[in-house]
Amino acid sequence: MSRFALPRWSLIAALSLLTLVAAVGSLLFGAVDLSVARLVAAATGEDDRVAAIILFDLRLPRTLLALAVGAMLGLAGAALQGYLRNPLAEPSVLGTSNAAALGGVAALYFGIAELHPVMLPLLATGGALLSLALLFILSGKAESPLTLILAGIAVGTLAVAGTSLALNLSPNPFAAMEIMTWLLGSLENRSFDHVWIALPCIAAGAMMLLWNGRALDALTLGEDAAQALGTDLRRTRLRLLVGTAIGVGGAVAVSGAIGFVGLIVPHLIRPLTDRSPSAILLPSAIGGAALLTLADLGVRIIPTTNELKLGVVTAFLGVPVFLLHLMRERRLW
Amino acid sequence: MRRYGLLAVAALVGGAGVLWAASPVPSAKAPAIPQRIVSINLCADQLVLALADREQIAGLTKNATDPEMSGEAVKARGIALLSNSAEQILAIEPDLIVGMPASRSAALAALPKQNYPLLDLATANTLNEIHASIRETAAAVGHPERGAALIARMEGELAGLPKPGKGRVAAYYQRRGYMTGTGTLIDELMTRLGLVNLAGQLGKPPLSQLSLEEMVAAEPDFLIVESATDVVTDQGSEMLHHPAIKDIPRISIPQAWTVCGSPAYTAAARSMAAQIARIDRGRS
Repeated sequence: MSRFALPRWSLIAALSLLTLVAAVGSLLFGAVDLSVARLVAAATGEDDRVAAIILFDLRLPRTLLALAVGAMLGLAGAALQGYLRNPLAEPSVLGTSNAAALGGVAALYFGIAELHPVMLPLLATGGALLSLALLFILSGKAESPLTLILAGIAVGTLAVAGTSLALNLSPNPFAAMEIMTWLLGSLENRSFDHVWIALPCIAAGAMMLLWNGRALDALTLGEDAAQALGTDLRRTRLRLLVGTAIGVGGAVAVSGAIGFVGLIVPHLIRPLTDRSPSAILLPSAIGGAALLTLADLGVRIIPTTNELKLGVVTAFLGVPVFLLHLMRERRLW
Repeated sequence: MRRYGLLAVAALVGGAGVLWAASPVPSAKAPAIPQRIVSINLCADQLVLALADREQIAGLTKNATDPEMSGEAVKARGIALLSNSAEQILAIEPDLIVGMPASRSAALAALPKQNYPLLDLATANTLNEIHASIRETAAAVGHPERGAALIARMEGELAGLPKPGKGRVAAYYQRRGYMTGTGTLIDELMTRLGLVNLAGQLGKPPLSQLSLEEMVAAEPDFLIVESATDVVTDQGSEMLHHPAIKDIPRISIPQAWTVCGSPAYTAAARSMAAQIARIDRGRS
C-alpha cells in the first residue's frame, strides 16, 4: 500500500473533476477570443452563427477527440506496463503508435481510405497489431526489461522510416509537412467525421483492456503463478494485443502518433493507488484524457506563429519521466 | 533596353560573377536570335513557351509539363526537362538562359565560366510587371512583336471585365490554413475584381497562417481556393473541407494560373469574375 493511496472512488472522482475542468477549458479557449457569455448563449441556442460554428464544429470535436485519444493512450500505457511488467512500456515507446501512423498514412495517401471510411482505422489498427506481434517476437522471453524497449525502438524506427518513405513515394508535393503531423501528432482542424472514426475503435479497445484487470494482477506473481490462479494467459495476451491495436489504431488514425501520454499517466497515478495493475487501469484512462486535453489546450495558448504539434508538448512532459525510470534500470545493464 | 543594362551592372556589383566578361554585352535591339534557350525557372518556362519558337527552346524546368503548376504545360511536352543541374546546362551550351533571376542560380554559379547570355526576370506581382516581363522575354528571344501582340491580347481580354466584387471580402485560403496577403498577384486580382483581401483587412503579411476558428470569426464573403484542393488528398487539403467553413461561397482557380505572373493572368481574372457572378445568381 502506498503512503499516498487514496480510496479508489475519491481518486476517480478527483481525476474526473480535473478532466471536466480541462474539457471546459478546451471549449473556452482557442485562436479566437470569445467571451464565456457569448459561448453560453450560442450553446443555449441563441442565434450567433460565428460562436455556434466555433463551439460546435471546431472546439467540441477537438475536445472530444482529446479526451478519447488521451484516455486510450493512458489506458494502453497502464495495461502494457502491467502485462509486460515493464515501467517503460507504452504505445509510443514500443513503436505501436508509429506503426499505426504508418497504416493510416498508407490508407490516406494511396487512396485506400477513399474506398470505404472504415479503411483508415482498419489499416491503422493493422499497423499497430503487426508492430505488437513483431515486438513480442523480437523481445521473446528475454529477462531484461531493456530488451523490450530496444525492440520497441527498432519497431518504432522502422515504422517512422516507413511513414516517411510512404509519404515521399506518394504523389504529394507537400509530403514534408504531412510527415511532421503524423509523427508528432495534432488535433488541429478535426471535425466530427474524425470523432466517428476514432470513438468506436477507442471504445472497443478500451473495453478489451479494462477486462484484463484481474489477469494483470495475477501476472504480478509471475506467469506460472498466474496460470495456477486460473488465468488464461493466451486469452489475456490476445485481448491485450487486439485491444491495444484497435484502440491505439483508431486514435492514431485521426490524431497522428502522440508520444509519452501512456508513459506519464500511469506513473503519476500509481503512487495514489495500491499499485496493483488493475487499480491503475481506469484512473489512467481518466488521467490520460485530462493530460492530453490540457496539453492540447497548451498548444493553443502558447503563442507561436504556427500551432505547436501535440507531440512536442507531450515529449517535454514525458522524456523526464522516461529518463528517470531508465536511470533506475541502470543497475540491470 | 534600359533594364537590361541595369541588371548587368547589378549583377557585377552584386558579386554574382563576371557575366559577359569575354563577349560584348548582347544588345536587346539586335540580337542574334538565340537557338538554344534554357529556362531555369517555372515562371520563365511559361514566358519562353509563350513567346519563343519551339525549336529555339533547349531545356525547361522539371515542373514545366505539370498542368497543376504551369499554365503552358501542354506546350512544354516533348521539350527536354532539366533538373537544374550545372552538368545538363553545360552540355546544352545555351545561348540564352532565362531565370528569375538567372544570375543568382546555384547551378550557374557552379559552372566554371559563366559567359552565357542571361535574362534576369523580376517576380511579377502586378499586371504591369507581367507586361514588362513579357516585353523583356520577347525581345530576348528575338520576337518583340509577339510580346506586343500578347500584351494587346491580354488587354483585350481584360477590357470588358466586370467588377462583381462590390467591395466584398475574400480570402485566398490555401492548404493548412495559409492565406495570401497584400502585394501579391492574388491581391491584385482581387482588387481588379472589386474584392477586398481579408489578409489586408487583418494586417497580415504576404503569407500568413489563419486558423479555421479565425476564418470563421472573420466571416469573409468568399473563399478563393486552389482547384487542386477541391478533392481531399491529405490532411492539408482536408482542412479546407472542414464543416465549419463549408457555408462560405468558394471560388476555385487552378494554381497554375496564379503561381506565376504569366499570360494566364487573364484566364484567372475572367474565371474569378464568372464564378462570383454565378454565386450571386445562385443567391438571388
